[in-house]
Amino acid sequence: MSEVAQLQLIGLSIVGSGILILLFIKAQFVRVIGFVAIVLGLFSLTALSVPQMASLPPAEEKFDIATVKTPTDMAAIGQKIFFSKGQCALCHSIGPSESARCPDLKGIGAKLSRDFIFESLTQPQAYIYQDYRHEGLPKEYPARMPYINKDPIGLSKNEILSVIAFLQQMSGEPISVSLSELDVPGQAPAAPVKADESAPLAVAQAQ
Amino acid sequence: MQQRGGSIQRIFQAIDGHGGWLTGLLLVAGSLILPSIGIAAEGTTAGPTEYRDIPYVGSRNLVWVVAQLHLLLAGFVLGVPIFAWLCEIVAWKSGEKRYDKLAKEFTKLLTSAYATTALFGGILLFLLIAFYPKLMNYLTDIFFPSFLVYCLLFLLETATLYLYWYGWDAMQDGGKKTFHVFLGLLLNFFAFFIMVVPNAWATFQASPVVISEGTAIERAWAATWNPTWWPVNIHRLIANVVLGGYICGAYAGIRYLSARNTEERDHYDWMGYVGNFIGVFGLLPLPFAGYWLMREIYQYNQQMGITLMGGFLSWLFILQAMLIGVLFLGSNYYFWLGITYRIPGSEMKYRRPMLSMLVILLLCLAVWMTPHSLVASLEEARKMGGTHHPLLGVFGVMSAKMTVANLMILVTFMSFIMYWRAGKAETAGWGKVARALMSGVLVLASIAVVILGVWGYFVPAIIRINYFSTSQVLIVIFVMLTITPLTALLLKSAKTTTEMVWGRMPPRAGYSLVLNAVMVILLMTLMGYARSSSRVHWHIYGVMRDSSPYAFSPALGSAAVLMALNTFFFCMLVAFIFWVATMGDKAKATHGGSGKGELPHGIPAMAGGAPAREGKQ
Repeated sequence: MSEVAQLQLIGLSIVGSGILILLFIKAQFVRVIGFVAIVLGLFSLTALSVPQMASLPPAEEKFDIATVKTPTDMAAIGQKIFFSKGQCALCHSIGPSESARCPDLKGIGAKLSRDFIFESLTQPQAYIYQDYRHEGLPKEYPARMPYINKDPIGLSKNEILSVIAFLQQMSGEPISVSLSELDVPGQAPAAPVKADESAPLAVAQAQ
Repeated sequence: MQQRGGSIQRIFQAIDGHGGWLTGLLLVAGSLILPSIGIAAEGTTAGPTEYRDIPYVGSRNLVWVVAQLHLLLAGFVLGVPIFAWLCEIVAWKSGEKRYDKLAKEFTKLLTSAYATTALFGGILLFLLIAFYPKLMNYLTDIFFPSFLVYCLLFLLETATLYLYWYGWDAMQDGGKKTFHVFLGLLLNFFAFFIMVVPNAWATFQASPVVISEGTAIERAWAATWNPTWWPVNIHRLIANVVLGGYICGAYAGIRYLSARNTEERDHYDWMGYVGNFIGVFGLLPLPFAGYWLMREIYQYNQQMGITLMGGFLSWLFILQAMLIGVLFLGSNYYFWLGITYRIPGSEMKYRRPMLSMLVILLLCLAVWMTPHSLVASLEEARKMGGTHHPLLGVFGVMSAKMTVANLMILVTFMSFIMYWRAGKAETAGWGKVARALMSGVLVLASIAVVILGVWGYFVPAIIRINYFSTSQVLIVIFVMLTITPLTALLLKSAKTTTEMVWGRMPPRAGYSLVLNAVMVILLMTLMGYARSSSRVHWHIYGVMRDSSPYAFSPALGSAAVLMALNTFFFCMLVAFIFWVATMGDKAKATHGGSGKGELPHGIPAMAGGAPAREGKQ
């Protein structure tokens, strides 16, 4: 017997018990319990009669350097990080969006160099664009760009490079991140991620 | 493990003198905890423990039940002070003592209800720390300053509650009464913020914002001020008023059914009327708050909105429509019974309008419950030309549902106005003009709501959502804000043609009050599941993934069984609280401690009775 059928049977027996209570018991409080049982049983039976759809979680993605054979593999991992652990999509959209709170990143890989994107992720206050204006009323929940390589997001260097590879690929640009730049576990890092917080605040025009 | 065993033996030795029941209780508790300790120990070998589980029941199910009961109890203890305070103000301003006594009767419940709520809150906290240490660590890191604020609010709320309850009799006259009413306001103020603070934690899980670096307070504040925080605050505040009102109604209904004398029947009939009135008072604006919340969810993340309304949770909204529909029908039915039985001679006069209202409500409910896509076999789908039925498919969309929801609110509002005016003859010279104006407003508003609904099919969704649906809501609010004061002004000078008679309602009136309360509780459990499931496999949407074995959202059927179980547990808990709170009064009444002159607090006859009866005695 399926789980739904079992639950339907339980629901039916609860409704039946409620009806028996109302028919044969005189004590008012018990009768009210019987009435409540009928209502709850009917509710359960109705819910069991509609299409039963459970939401199953997708397979969990982990950054495994052994699976990265080409820059396209790296971009594919970067895309997953962009929409999950990296939390980029909490604020940014790819293409115009009503709900985006921060700049639209469509074509960003073509507009900005990979070093600049890397710096924007790890030193978000180093350069501030003055020409980013959202059309219409200001957003109610202005968000400040966080340090992506620090807690609570805390992306590793490999993960940040993968996100850059994704942004470049999504913008139709050739991926400039090479596989040799990735840190291999157990080896000394090729170029450690550095977030220089003492960098002077500069203001740049985005052109 | 050896050491643990020794500790357990020592505990047994220590408690030996306290009777077997305590040992039994500890054994049961221990048998529940030990498996989770075992799993935790396994987790420590491979790094910090992220999850613990409990056999047979499952950690998620246990947390679900306890969290739901805590939330329902919290809704009750936040709704009851609003209810009691409103009654106290009515008594204070109108001089009708029975309202003051009703307020006191319900405030008495608060002390035991408050303790039970805190108890479940404590259990929930322990379970969350034990079962979800990684998530709790993350949330604590962000929200720690608000934990302190929460504790402070609890202290202030408790102190105010003690003053409010224990000072009731001592603060009855003059300036002292004013101060007591102020204490009631303060009680509700603290209670509101006790709800608002944890709402920030829950809404952050559903609609997180990016947390930048900063001080602990800055980070906590940034996370608190998330897009769904205020919509949930307002929605829950109104829902708590509804819960408080309908539970009062259900209590009155049960006591009415088991009343042993006329006085009890009169009193609990009147109490049922007050409870239903306050419940409906909150119910009318509640869909608007729900609409605002849903709109903010869509604004925040369209995907989440689609998961709720068009994804695997879409059938949940058909169930929601059913429950709200039954609630509207139940509330109206109680009003109609009131007109029929409490106001002699009104039955024939109002029969036709009541029948028309019933037909409109049923038609609206049928439209609201029409699913967008039908479950059909391949052959059936081919005959229909798709999963959308050629005729019914028209009713399955939001435009139709928004229209009928607004019409149901209008009908319920008119039911209430009809009840208010029944048995009274207006004497004001401008009465005719006022009546014509009210009828005009109602008819025009209904037509406008329908036109906007039909027009909504032919415009882009964003225009419908931003302009048409909000206009429908504003029109209905306008009707309420116009007709209510006009009716109040009209009735100020009206003369009573038929005195309202309490205690004559048939038993089905009591059952309809119980039904309304059950519907509200079920709705809260259903929408709690919707809110939680809309995060799908995320503890914190898009930020922290649920990687436990319970990352899936269960299907509606099995979830509904748990919801029904939670509703039943909650009803039993509330019944227990009412029983405990009135136990002393019953004993006093049985022993005749109060004599015939004055009845003790909580005794039915004391808290009410019809004015007509009081006048006769």
